[in-house]
Amino acid sequence: MRKSAAPAELQRWSEEVAHDPGAPSFVPLADAYRRQGNRDAAVRVCLRGLERNPGNVEAHLLLARLYLENGDRERAHDEWGFALRLDADNFEAHRGVGFVHLDRGDFGIARRHLDRAAAARPDDPAVQEALLVLTDRLRGATAQSQAPAEGNARGQGQGRLASTVAALDPVKLFDPLRRETPFLGAVILDAHGLVLAGALSRDATGTDAEALGAILSGAIEEAARTADLLDLGAWRGIMLETEHAQLHITVLPDQFMVLLAADPGAPAGWVVRAAQRATELSRSFLQGGA
Amino acid sequence: MKKLFEDMLDRLSRVPGVRGAMIVDAQAGVPIVEEMAEGVAGGAVAAMAASLVKRSAKAATTAKFGELRAIQLEAAAGHLIIASHRDVVAVAVTRVDAQLGLVRVEMRNVLEALKR
Repeated sequence: MRKSAAPAELQRWSEEVAHDPGAPSFVPLADAYRRQGNRDAAVRVCLRGLERNPGNVEAHLLLARLYLENGDRERAHDEWGFALRLDADNFEAHRGVGFVHLDRGDFGIARRHLDRAAAARPDDPAVQEALLVLTDRLRGATAQSQAPAEGNARGQGQGRLASTVAALDPVKLFDPLRRETPFLGAVILDAHGLVLAGALSRDATGTDAEALGAILSGAIEEAARTADLLDLGAWRGIMLETEHAQLHITVLPDQFMVLLAADPGAPAGWVVRAAQRATELSRSFLQGGA
Repeated sequence: MKKLFEDMLDRLSRVPGVRGAMIVDAQAGVPIVEEMAEGVAGGAVAAMAASLVKRSAKAATTAKFGELRAIQLEAAAGHLIIASHRDVVAVAVTRVDAQLGLVRVEMRNVLEALKR
């Protein structure tokens, strides 16, 4: 699981990179900027670092992730391509290139890269899902004029593709939950209260996610103290029911927090289950390094 | 009034899995009536619950979510369920296997009674 950089580390990396833009610390520095939500600075640090040190695979992977988060899949694809030239077995690069080609409909290339990714990490759920989508798509391509049932299968495949792509794109992380009516959005917040992934509908919630995290932090600390006093053991989550929304907060290791918002009328059981699913997606996101 | 609170508390405490319950004066942070398991410091719980409600209510208003209605804290060994109406807060502490649906229904009944 990723950790936020300490201020002293940031200071040290900044000084090293100021002295030499190609110093190895340019990668963690850029990653720290990314986690702070400063993607432009992160991209600049990566590009300058790669000018001096073009053989840094981690930097190409990070730059691909940054481009992806900016919605630029083509550049992300190019960076994964560079990473593969440097490290032909790189899991993350094969997975990324495979997803992009699957999305484009280049099934042969997608299959080649996804098979390599699956060979590197056979248990990765996103790759397994993508391979299922690929099988659906290939079946659909060879029998386009078949019965509506085939169309349904392709529809299901599209749904799976959406959730697979969502696993890569932080903003779309919780999109699989958006199909359910009471869902107003969910976000992962880091220890500094910055949004790491997901989105809340501003219209629906009336405030932005980072402000909400800051506003709720006092209540969360109080909740933890109360659970401690009552000998309730480690607290897992808190649900606040208000006039205009239901909020559920789950705390993850390393002070990450998952905040889910739902319609005020959403059944409490649904909110708890949706929060569990959001937490699973968050854990997978934080562990997968997407 | 105290009799009404005692009756409400009695109903709440009878729900399977409830370890204790209390009605708290939110302003003062002290219990009005309480029925907590032995060894649980009722006064401290009342103060914490009142403080939690105040902070959460302030957060809900600041974030434009309107009035705070209830809080449900999920922990490894049980739940803390709090419902508030104006200056009165109802608190229930449950085991992890409690019938939460029933607890919530009783909490709603308490709130409805408070509103009357």
